[in-house]
Amino acid sequence: MNSGPALVSILRQGDTLVASVHTALDDSEMVRFQNDLVSRIGEHRARGVIIDVAALDVIDSFASRTLRSIADIARLRGAVTVIVGIQPEVAFSMVRLGMDMGDVPTSLDLEEGLAYLARVNGRAAGGRRG
Amino acid sequence: MSTARVPDEPAQPGGAVDVAALIPMLRRIVAARVGEHPAAEDLVQETLVRVLEAEDRIEPGMIEPYAIATARNVMATMWRRKDSESRNRHRALDPSVPDEAEDVVVASEEQSAINEALRRLTDREREVLLAHEISGQATRSLAEDSGSTAGAVAAQLKRTRARLRVEYLLALEHTEPPTDECRPVLLALSSADRRRQREVDAGRHLLECDLCAKLSQPLLGRGPLRDNEIHVAISADPDIVAARQAARELAIRAGFSGADLTMLATAVSEVARNIVRFARSGEVTIELVDGPRAGIHVVARDTGPGIDDVEVALKDGFSTYDGLGLGLPGARRLMDEFNIVSEPGHGTTVTMTKWFDKKGTA
Amino acid sequence: MSQDDETQESSEQVEASSSGDQLLPQLVAHLREHRAKLRDEWASRIRDAHLLEAMTPQEMSAETTSVYDNYVEVLETGSVEALQHYARDLSERIIPRGVETHEVVGIVLLLRDVLARSLFEKYQRDFGLLNRILDAYEPAANRIANTVAVSFVDERERVIRQQQDAIRELSTPVLPVRERLLILPIIGVLDGERARQLTEQLLSGIRTHRAKVVVIDITGAPEVDETVANHLVQTVDASRLMGASVIITGLSPTIAQTLVTIGVDLSKMNTIGDLQGGLEEAERLLGFTVTRKAVTDGS
Repeated sequence: MNSGPALVSILRQGDTLVASVHTALDDSEMVRFQNDLVSRIGEHRARGVIIDVAALDVIDSFASRTLRSIADIARLRGAVTVIVGIQPEVAFSMVRLGMDMGDVPTSLDLEEGLAYLARVNGRAAGGRRG
Repeated sequence: MSTARVPDEPAQPGGAVDVAALIPMLRRIVAARVGEHPAAEDLVQETLVRVLEAEDRIEPGMIEPYAIATARNVMATMWRRKDSESRNRHRALDPSVPDEAEDVVVASEEQSAINEALRRLTDREREVLLAHEISGQATRSLAEDSGSTAGAVAAQLKRTRARLRVEYLLALEHTEPPTDECRPVLLALSSADRRRQREVDAGRHLLECDLCAKLSQPLLGRGPLRDNEIHVAISADPDIVAARQAARELAIRAGFSGADLTMLATAVSEVARNIVRFARSGEVTIELVDGPRAGIHVVARDTGPGIDDVEVALKDGFSTYDGLGLGLPGARRLMDEFNIVSEPGHGTTVTMTKWFDKKGTA
Repeated sequence: MSQDDETQESSEQVEASSSGDQLLPQLVAHLREHRAKLRDEWASRIRDAHLLEAMTPQEMSAETTSVYDNYVEVLETGSVEALQHYARDLSERIIPRGVETHEVVGIVLLLRDVLARSLFEKYQRDFGLLNRILDAYEPAANRIANTVAVSFVDERERVIRQQQDAIRELSTPVLPVRERLLILPIIGVLDGERARQLTEQLLSGIRTHRAKVVVIDITGAPEVDETVANHLVQTVDASRLMGASVIITGLSPTIAQTLVTIGVDLSKMNTIGDLQGGLEEAERLLGFTVTRKAVTDGS
């Protein structure tokens, strides 16, 4: 995206995009991340998007809202978004702040996120449930 | 101008002092000393914040004299801070590295001041204070010992503590009060006894007595400024991240951990963003406090357009720019205390505190 | 006693020769000489005041002797260091026996008074000297009382902190029942502080155990006020953000009422009557077949 160490990486895995945030982002970086990710969703015709936020030590109102709007836009483009890796203290602070992820699904980590996508996008993923 | 106070702190019904009315006077006082200095308005704001903080502890008639004394103290502090700041300051962060040798000296001075202050109490006062302060549970048994009631013992303890604070400060200054009026005035301030303050005409005395004006600050306000304080200038997006990281670091130093740290950092993020969005530039000050309990005190200050109706801004979902609605009310929920003062056309100051010792809060 | 006679005779001499510096040594010599008598008197005052009753007579005798000697030593040397060490040591021994702060402060103040009285008796005939002796004695004695009290309280606080940590661990167990499933039984009265700790433990438990389902059983919580109810709701929401579903069991009608009062939409909370039912629901969510096939799971 930018010069210097990557703040964010976006990898493709089949029809799923895995976006990992590596460090705290300020608002403009967050917006840039949103734009990049949204255009990649279009490019790759992704059906699933995983955003890994495990590295974020704060998810404030702006970050929450940006994550939600990424998920909303992705849905309009036919992709399901899962947010993964929200840390315990971050989860609690978000709730206190009054933010939630709305209808956007959340999972514990990348592995769980992939399992979730596999389930909702209708592919067998070890056949937990019949 | 409007002020709003969080309900967890018992507000004085109808006692809200019109601090705005002080502004013209304070501007005159500050201008007389520093002229057209760019920091003049900051000094006025700082003074207002401190007056507001002491508001519960002083009788209304004393607000003006106290504001004047405070303005003088604030200006004196600014000059003192100036040269150390120009040495340490790099861009936005000013982590004021504490000087260890100096700390040791300060600590031993404080220790001997405490001993001296204790010595000046009567034996009875000292006994009760030592037996109680320390154990926290002995009020009732102390009352039994002295054939008195727990309430009376508690009141006596309160008076003793107030005296101890006064004597401690005097010992620290290595001075005796110049007039006979001083001790009663200082005692009335220290015990936040408004009736006594009126009786001894504390307001007039503060204007006449330099020593008492100086001591009024630690007795009523936040205490003397220390190194445990970080200023982050806020003018652009990256400063929001810098402010919340600074808050987190200071809080770790103070012993915060877990969700408290994250809640504090999140709240700082919200108020800093408010500055960037509304006012373009301002400053966030993060400070360790140890009285009445240990905690982190945050002041976010700007000289932007101000908020017309603070009450409305504190309602969930209030939005003056695209998408924001949770900044202020959210920050309020994340912190233990929250206070906002805004003057349309002149700026907004948010002060908030998170206590380290959680007893009695949710 | 011959000592007393001697003092009466020579009191004028003493006064003439004693500058401030010599008062304390003189005082210390007196306290050393009458050690046994004064110590016994002190011990009997302690008994009369019902202090330190948790200690045996032997212990009492040993400790009072040590305190007495330390006390006199501080008067002599002016250094409280040794006393500090001893006081901390003593505190460590007696705190587990339930000795309270007021007792420790009490015995030191009693000793101060016993000694002061003996000084008074010795010097009462010479008021000027008595005054100067007491002037020298009182600040030192107060300093000793201060030192002992502070050492005791420091030690006591340390012990209390340790105990609190231990209790905290015990009182909020997050139980991993099976893979991906946590149970959080809430027992006893919940206040804001405990509710916070519970939440923090639960959320970090979700991460360490990789839990997908959490059952919070509040059967054992007698009452829940609005603050705690709010907290409960926030805990549920935060758990969801971490990808875990929450089932609440044992919700009494009163607590349900509290939740409704603060505006919680109970239909959005997964509440199930009892723990057994909650566990079955948890297994269903986890995708395991309910093991007890006897229960028909129609619908």
